[in-house]
Amino acid sequence: MNSPSSGPDSIVRIRNLHFRRGSRAIFDGVDLDIPRGKVTAILGPSGSGKTTLLRLIGAQLASQQGSVEVNGANVQTLSRDGLYQLRKGMGMLFQNGALLTDLTVFENVAFPIREHTRLPPSILRSLVLMKLEMVGLRGARDLYPRELSGGMARRVALARAIALDPTMVLYDEPFAGQDPISMGILVRLIRELNDALGLSSIIVSHDVAETSSIADYLFIMAGAKIVGAGTPAELRESDSPMVRQFIGGLPDGPVPFHFPSRPYLGDLLETPL
Amino acid sequence: MKDPRLIEISVGVFVALGLASLLMLAMKVANLADFSAPPGYEVRAYFDNIGGLQVRSPVKMGGVVVGRIADIGFDSKRFQACVTLRIEERYDQIPTDTAANIYTSGLLGEQYIGLEPGGEESFLKNGSELTITQSAVVLEKMIQEFLYNKTAKPEPQSP
Amino acid sequence: MTPLLATLGRLSLGLFERLGRGHLFLLSVLIRIPGLLLRPRLLLQQMWSVGVESLLIIVVSGSFVGMVLGLQGYNTLVTFGAQASLGVVVAKSLLRELGPVISALLFAGRAGSALTAEIGFMKATEQLSAMEMMAVDPMARVVVPRFVAGVLSMPLLAAIFTAIGILGGYFCGTGLLGVDEGAFWSQMQAKVMLIQDVFNGVVVKSLVFGAVVSWIAVFEGYDAVPTSEGVSAATTRTVVHSSLAILSLDFVLTGLMFN
Repeated sequence: MNSPSSGPDSIVRIRNLHFRRGSRAIFDGVDLDIPRGKVTAILGPSGSGKTTLLRLIGAQLASQQGSVEVNGANVQTLSRDGLYQLRKGMGMLFQNGALLTDLTVFENVAFPIREHTRLPPSILRSLVLMKLEMVGLRGARDLYPRELSGGMARRVALARAIALDPTMVLYDEPFAGQDPISMGILVRLIRELNDALGLSSIIVSHDVAETSSIADYLFIMAGAKIVGAGTPAELRESDSPMVRQFIGGLPDGPVPFHFPSRPYLGDLLETPL
Repeated sequence: MKDPRLIEISVGVFVALGLASLLMLAMKVANLADFSAPPGYEVRAYFDNIGGLQVRSPVKMGGVVVGRIADIGFDSKRFQACVTLRIEERYDQIPTDTAANIYTSGLLGEQYIGLEPGGEESFLKNGSELTITQSAVVLEKMIQEFLYNKTAKPEPQSP
Repeated sequence: MTPLLATLGRLSLGLFERLGRGHLFLLSVLIRIPGLLLRPRLLLQQMWSVGVESLLIIVVSGSFVGMVLGLQGYNTLVTFGAQASLGVVVAKSLLRELGPVISALLFAGRAGSALTAEIGFMKATEQLSAMEMMAVDPMARVVVPRFVAGVLSMPLLAAIFTAIGILGGYFCGTGLLGVDEGAFWSQMQAKVMLIQDVFNGVVVKSLVFGAVVSWIAVFEGYDAVPTSEGVSAATTRTVVHSSLAILSLDFVLTGLMFN
């Protein structure tokens, strides 16, 4: 409920966001400030709209009400050119990498560079190799996505996301389904890249432990609203039951264990009770 | 991604094959006389009935194609069909009393004009008219005649 | 009664919605075609996978269809003593109908379904979304080259099918059944018209079929539900709808052209 001091240096500013899908409210009046240059995480149970938030920031979706500003510009009213510029400055890591399956690792990373610049082949090559080196996969440059493990595919996707030196990188559930080693690699990469390249990173995840270890700031979403915000330390001390349940991984609490239903005995005996 | 040069070459071959097929169909299969009518001079002939004669049907002499039908029309003053024949330049010694008859090639074949040369010393030139003509045989009339002959009285015997 | 009406209404609305989406989609494809000329590599790549890779089935089917025409045509004509006209029968049937229609049906089954599956798969694995986020227009980069490749390949494939078919009929008729070679070709050349048979049949019909099949294929892929069942259903729809469209359009075109 509390945003960080909506200081002048918020790279993303969301105000009064309302978004429904069909009859379900995904966001019900959400205010959010994402600080520049930091790693910010948005946590929440599955289906709470975290991926939708990323799509709203990238202007792939439009909200019914409210504003989404990136670097001061409302993304929902951008022209074609404005959108183009916005996305060039933004890198996104999709949940499964979303690498182009008919291109090699090298060509995947080179893709955005080829599409948006006219760099000569030699410089392009150096750029791509540098990005791959940053994620530790320079040697895999001639492999095809189908030959990569899940973790490797994500690292290639990360290299691709930073290919054009964006100012902001969005991560959609980067830790989902990873083995401990890949997880460790990714976690480290996200933090190091953020600091080394001066990025603003937004991670959307439901993995509390890993995310808390690198995030500077956390938001917790549930029931179409923000139910907790603060640094990892602050949230651990919080006495909000919702925050406690989420952070502690408690099976029952404000998010109930039982799906709403009739009383148990009545159901078993098939009589109204 | 396959070797781009290989792809370019293959697509080039594919397109070439396709165009070649199209060309083959246009040249060897279709009637090129549509476009390559050799130059010639035009003569007219009038018929009572042209049957199934069509524009571009052949004009033959002695079985050899010497020209094609250029146009078919109807003359409302003479109540006859007016057929314009285009005869190739090189056949310029056709007598003016040549007869033009409409024949059918084979039993179900297409119809054509056959020219029977006459004996005059002057020859056909552009704009001439063939005065001796024989119309196409119409099947129904033939049958009618056949039946009529069959039911006619036998001829009286000579003493 | 009311539930039935409600279902009918819902289905109709769904149908209209789909038709509308499909047409808007076609518009956005057509608008982007001039831009494709700046990136010939993309088009070439698709002409390979859509055109060249369909050659095998087209050539094999074309020869068999032509040979069967030769056999069947002979059987019928010989009862009238008119087997010398076999060339005409084979050529006209192929040029006007069998060439464009059968090659279009084969194309829909082989290339059309592949296009739908490709695009659907890219949608399901978020590759299209990723492109969008990289400020690359997925329509221009993925959809339009495939559409144009389909439209261009179709008449070429139909021409190859027809030419091979006629050759097949020739070998069958003259080689196996003893029809006179000279008669075969000369009768054909006398009766087959350039504009009516070759142009209208092979060129115009197959261009129309190519456009319709490619449109359906790329649309179904782009519109597919992004799951494996969704892509599979979309692929099936492409083949079924394309086939129906080809046959019904053939009826309309034949009526217009050959009447």
